[in-house]
Parts: sequence; C-alpha cells; structure tokens
Amino acid sequence: MNSNHTDDLAELHAEVAAVARELLADSAPRWATIARAGWPGLEVSAAFDGADAGFAEVAVILTEIGRAAASGPYPAVAALGVGALNHVVPTPDRDRLLRETAAGAVVPIVALAGEGMGEKRFRIENSPRGPLLRGAAEFVLDVPDAGRLLVPAVDPAGEVVLVDLDPRARGLLVTERPVLDATRSFGDIVAEDVSPESLWHFEDGYRCDAVGRLRDRAAVAVACDSLGLSRAMLDATVAHVAVREQFGRAIGSFQAVKHACADMLVQVTVAGKLVDAAVRAVTASGADASTSASMAKSYACATAVDIAGKAMQLHGGMGYTWESGIHVYLKRAALNRSLFGSPAQHRARLARRYSVQAPRRRGA
Amino acid sequence: MTGESRTLEDFRTEVRQWCRTNIPVDWRRAQTGVSDREFVEFQQSWFQRLRADGFAVPHWPKEYGGGMSSAEQVVLYQELAAHDAPRLVLAFVSIHHAAATLLAAGTDEQRRRHLPAILDGEIWCQGFSEPGAGSDLAALATTARRGPDGYVVNGQKLWASGAQYAEWCLLLARTDPDAPARQGISYFLLDMRSPGVEVRPIRQATGESHFCEIFLDDVVIATDRLVGRENTGWQVAQRTLGAERGMTMLELAERLGNGGFGRLVESCPLDDPVVLDRLAALEIELTGLRALCADFVAGAAPGPADASIVKLYYSELLQRMTDFGTEMAGLAAHTELRKPLSSGWESGAWMLDFLGSWEWTIPGGTSEIQRTIIGERGLGLPREPRGK
Ligand SMILES: Cc1cc2nc3c(=O)[nH]c(=O)nc-3n(C[C@H](O)[C@H](O)[C@H](O)COP(=O)(O)OP(=O)(O)OC[C@H]3O[C@@H](n4cnc5c(N)ncnc54)[C@H](O)[C@@H]3O)c2cc1C
Repeated sequence: MNSNHTDDLAELHAEVAAVARELLADSAPRWATIARAGWPGLEVSAAFDGADAGFAEVAVILTEIGRAAASGPYPAVAALGVGALNHVVPTPDRDRLLRETAAGAVVPIVALAGEGMGEKRFRIENSPRGPLLRGAAEFVLDVPDAGRLLVPAVDPAGEVVLVDLDPRARGLLVTERPVLDATRSFGDIVAEDVSPESLWHFEDGYRCDAVGRLRDRAAVAVACDSLGLSRAMLDATVAHVAVREQFGRAIGSFQAVKHACADMLVQVTVAGKLVDAAVRAVTASGADASTSASMAKSYACATAVDIAGKAMQLHGGMGYTWESGIHVYLKRAALNRSLFGSPAQHRARLARRYSVQAPRRRGA
Repeated sequence: MTGESRTLEDFRTEVRQWCRTNIPVDWRRAQTGVSDREFVEFQQSWFQRLRADGFAVPHWPKEYGGGMSSAEQVVLYQELAAHDAPRLVLAFVSIHHAAATLLAAGTDEQRRRHLPAILDGEIWCQGFSEPGAGSDLAALATTARRGPDGYVVNGQKLWASGAQYAEWCLLLARTDPDAPARQGISYFLLDMRSPGVEVRPIRQATGESHFCEIFLDDVVIATDRLVGRENTGWQVAQRTLGAERGMTMLELAERLGNGGFGRLVESCPLDDPVVLDRLAALEIELTGLRALCADFVAGAAPGPADASIVKLYYSELLQRMTDFGTEMAGLAAHTELRKPLSSGWESGAWMLDFLGSWEWTIPGGTSEIQRTIIGERGLGLPREPRGK
C-alpha cells in the first residue's frame, strides 16, 4: 500500500466519519434513515447494490455509533449479518437476502451468544422430517429487532453451516433480555426442532473456522464502539473542565484534573492504534486477525470503562446525574467489556500463543 | 484489663444475640423498588428497633440516649455488619451531621428541641453545595439578610441528599457579602416547611432520586435558629463535618469486608488462578482498610490527613471492588435493572453498585480534593495555587 493511497483512505474515512457524526447527532436516527445513508450495504458488493467498500469503512461508522452511544441494530447487522452473508457460498436465496440487507429492507441478525468466546451452541440433526435445528443462545445482540435470523450450526457432518430462519418460525422462541444499558437490546433464543428454510455453506476460506471469524468481527466491532464512546467522553470532559470554575480557576488548570484528562488521551490514542490494526487484520483475513482482534477488544473495552468513569468523576455531582448522560456511556462501556469475550478471556487467548512458542525457543 | 475485655466480649455476645432476633429477614427485598413511603416507613421502624435497645445513636452523649465507649461502638458496628443489618440511610444526616453540629455549636435550647426529636425520627438534610460551589464550598452564593422577623434567605442549593423526605436542613448561607469568602458565612437550621422552600428531586445515574435541588425564595429563618455566631458558619461546618466520619467509615469498611467481599467471591469463578490472585489482593486491601478504620476510631490524636486517607481509600477500593464484581458477573451484571437497597453498597447488583460507587468518590470532598489535602496537610507540601 503506497503512502498516497493511505492518505486518500484517511481522507475518505474522515469524510465518512464527519457525515456519520452529523447523521447521528440527530438523537436516535431510525433504521430507515440509516438505510437511506447506505450504511447496511457498505460492505456489500456492487452486484447486490452495495457500496463495494470494506470493513474499514464499516469500522468508521461503528466508531461513530459508539461516540453517539446510538441505539439500533446497525452494529449487529454490519459486523455479523453482512459478515456472515458475504462469506457463504452464493445461492439465489442468499443473494436475495444480501440485496435486501444492503437496501435496508431487512435486518438479519446472527445468533451468536453475547457472552464468552464462542462455543458452538446449535446443531442440525437428520430426522424423518428432514434436517432439524436444535440449540440455545443467551444474550444475542439485537435479536429483538431481527427480520431474519442467521444461525451458525454444526451439521451432521460436523461442518458449521448457516441456517436462515424467520424469527417467528415454529419451534423457535425468542425472549427479550432487558439490560441496564438502555441503548442496547438483547434476547435469548431457544430452538427446538426447527426446520431450516435455507441452509448455506461457508466459502472455503471461512469454512474451517466460520464462528471464530465472525466472533473476531464482533469483537472488533465492539472495540470500535468502545473507542468511539471513549472519544466522546474525553471530548465532553475536556469541554467541561475548560469552563467549569472552582477556587477562581477553570478546574482543567488543576494538575489533578489535567493529568486525568491526559491519561484519558493517552489511553484513547493507544486504543485507536490497536483498533486500527485489528480492523486492517480482519479486513485482510490474515492469520493474525484473531490476535489483533483480541488485543483491540481487551484494551479498548477495558480502558473505555476507566475513561467513562473518569468522565463521571471529573464532572463532579453533575456527572452523577441522569441528565448528564454520562451514565449512558458508563453502562454501555461496561456492557461492551463483557460482550463477545471479556478482556481476561481475550488476554487468555493471546497468552495461549506463548506455550506454543516456548518449546521452540527452548529447542533453539 | 481482663475485666474490661470480658465486658467487651459479653457485649459482643449480647449484640450478636440481638442481631439474630432483631434483623428483619429478607429486608433487602422488602426495600427493592418499593414506594418512597414504604422506604421511609421501613427505615423509621428499623431506627426505632435499634433505639429501643440503645443501638441507634451510640455515639451521642449518655444524657441524650447514647454514651457507648468507642470500643463498644466498634463491636456494635462490627456485629451489625457481620449480620448484614440494614443501614440507617434515611437517618444518616440527622444522627451524624445534625447531632454533631448541635452538640458542638448549638444552644441548649436547640439541643433540647432537636436531639429528642431526631430520636423520634425527625429527618434532616444537608444544604451546603450550590451550582457554583461544590469543591469550592466557600464560594457559596445563597444570601441571608437580617430582616424584621429574622434572616431572609434567597438562593439555590444542589445535591442535598434526602431533602425530599427532610423536615429540617443544615443550611449554609452568606451573611456578609463583603467579608472574605470564609468569614461571611453563617450556619442555620432551616425548617423545610417554611414558605418559600421548594424541593425538586434530581434523578441520578442509578435511576433513583436520592438527591435534590432546594430553591429558597425569601425564606424567613428566625434568629434563634442560627448555629454559633453570625459569620462563623465556616468553622461550625468544618468542626462538625469532620467529627462524624470515623465510626461511619468503620461501619462501611466492615460491611464491605463482610457481605461485600462475600458476594464478590460468590460472583467469581474460583478455578481461575488470575481471578484468585485478584480476589486475594482485594482481601488484603480490605483487611488494610478495616485496620485503618479501627485505628482511626481508636486514635486519640488522629493525624491531620487521616480522615482523608480513610475516605479516599474506602471510596476507591469500593469502586475497584464493584468494578471487578461487574466484570466477573459478565452480562448478567447488566440485567439487574433496579438497585436492591443494600447495606453498604454491595448488594450484588454489580453494575448498579459500581455506578453507585461514584456516590463515594464525588461527595464529601472528591478524590482529587482528598489527595490535595493529604499532600498538603499530611505531608506538608506547598499549597496548590488558587485563583483570586
Ligand atoms: C450522591 C451525592 C450526594 C451528595 N449529597 C450532598 C448533600 O447531601 N449535601 C450537600 O451539600 N452536597 C451534597 N453533594 C455535593 C458534593 O459535595 C459535591 O458534588 C462535591 O463536593 C463536588 O462538587 P461539584 O459537584 O460542584 O464538582 P466540582 O467542584 O465542579 O468538581 C468537578 C471536578 O473537578 C475536580 N476539582 C475541583 N476543584 C479541584 C481542585 N482544586 N483540585 C483538583 N481537582 C479539583 C473535582 O475533583 C471533580 O473531579 C452530593 C453529591 C453527590 C454526587
């Protein structure tokens, strides 16, 4: 990648971010507005009326959504729904769903459990009635908004396939799971002998670890969100401490306050680097994608809680009110931290690499 | 010496027995999401139950219904905490701030009027902070001018905890606008039913409304409700605020070390060495905190920064613990939508407890202010530059 190209990209991303920020400034834009902006189709190929852009551009939007602490299913659709549909072997059904998704006409939600690093929770069994889907998943992000449900399931041959379902299908039970973070919605899914409408195979590159790949996208999407919300908290805090006066001075001139803000900036800057690297790695689907995703997820999501907490502290009593809205960010940051793998789980995954490397080093 | 220690042990046995028979079972659930009225009724009845056996205001002088030695109080609070008794949240300002103020600086008449009433359940709030005066309390702008019937008060107070339930308010107001900031302030007892007083609850981050704005519009306060002399309110506030902290912090530390840590252990996977390491580290910190508080209440001559050290350490440890609890509980921590009123902010509704920890790092002098005090008073470092 030459430097000109990098500059162009940076410029393009800045533009996308500015447009997104404007759209999201309008409190809680509706899905129709988001669809009209073309966001669901960003990463969809032009053949299906998408914008032919990549995960990098989606990541810019995801970061802005975090900055606005916006609600709605866009993150789930963009990171998981489109991610899954783009990587299954095309069929006419799949193509139609992808086209409808790009147009914003349907909201496809992937049935991935929100907690943990992703055991496979659904399976398909053959029966006299044909293949039947069984399994359950808790804390599925945005499933209450689902227009279609995409369920990664292990088929009788042991391969992970993608099952396409109507969320109201017989044998399927979706229950909402209200959480403190009012900007997010979750649900639990139970599937008891559900007949799949369509059943898609993942393409070659994805097949061996489809769920892992999707989880990496999800982890990076949440890292983007936490990065965005950290930036918002830093900006709001800097703006507040620059004007709030106590003891005849702007509180931002007190070293305690200044240093706290400086630490926030340092953390946000580092988080930005780790997230950028993870976005690049996931875009390239390289072997290091999981490593980068875990680094970004664990760092950006852990520091976002610290940053939102410091924002609350530095706003004083005002920061502790409902009206200030800082609690909205703190709740979302803490939820993000637990979503799609906790920092400890991602660090544990990183650390597993050491024991693979160690014997080699000892041998040398 | 042996005689005294046996007495203390006897007392401990007595309190333990009392706790077993008197603490309402399931009280926490009885206070979850109930109406304001039910909350007040429960708190009042718990207060009266403690009072009946002399446990409500052990720190008061004997003639007003207290008279326990420090050592006995330590035992009392240790046992209440160990048995997970409800806290006296509603009576907090009355039995600590108001009582300490009246005892230190009130007139005989003021003491006779209010101390028995507080025992009967009179509720107080504290009206110190203002929109422009938080950390810099001396910047308060509410005015009190002498009129024919007393002082006429105008202004706005902010963040007054429990003001929606309070019958009386400890009020600071400026009586001399021309004096240097700290020298023109007076300390008043404000009857919350006075004409011109308006209370508006403010919703806080947890979704509850425990603190309020108080608007004061030509409110008349009779001159006999001045505490101390005119323009000495700053000194009264300083002396009385510091006095109450010790035993309260001991109680909170004991609660955190008992129920709080217990709930944290319950929330953790105990087969993970990293988690075990963090738990053990927190237990060490809690043990340190409990020792710190015990020494602080026993100390005849506390150091100039000891109160700040205790407050800072407690509040930030509480924050770290509830943060860790939130992390350990995972997504389930976010499905508790209503905060069970806990005994010491360790209800196990981790995310709400974590949010609630800012109720300790912000009020009563923020962590930043405490660090400055510790540096300046505890270590004698040069003072932080200030404007004006
Ligand atoms: C839950 C709760 C209950 C409360 N209850 C009561 C009550 O019952 N009665 C009452 O009177 N008040 C009450 N308060 C008010 C409380 O005492 C103030 O909020 C507190 O003193 C901070 O003041 P502030 O909100 O104006 O913040 P600010 O003073 O504006 O502080 C904002 C930030 O700047 C920092 N800062 C300010 N000055 C300095 C400095 N010199 N050096 C370094 N950092 C500085 C602070 O640490 C803070 O992080 C309550 C507050 C809360 C949150």
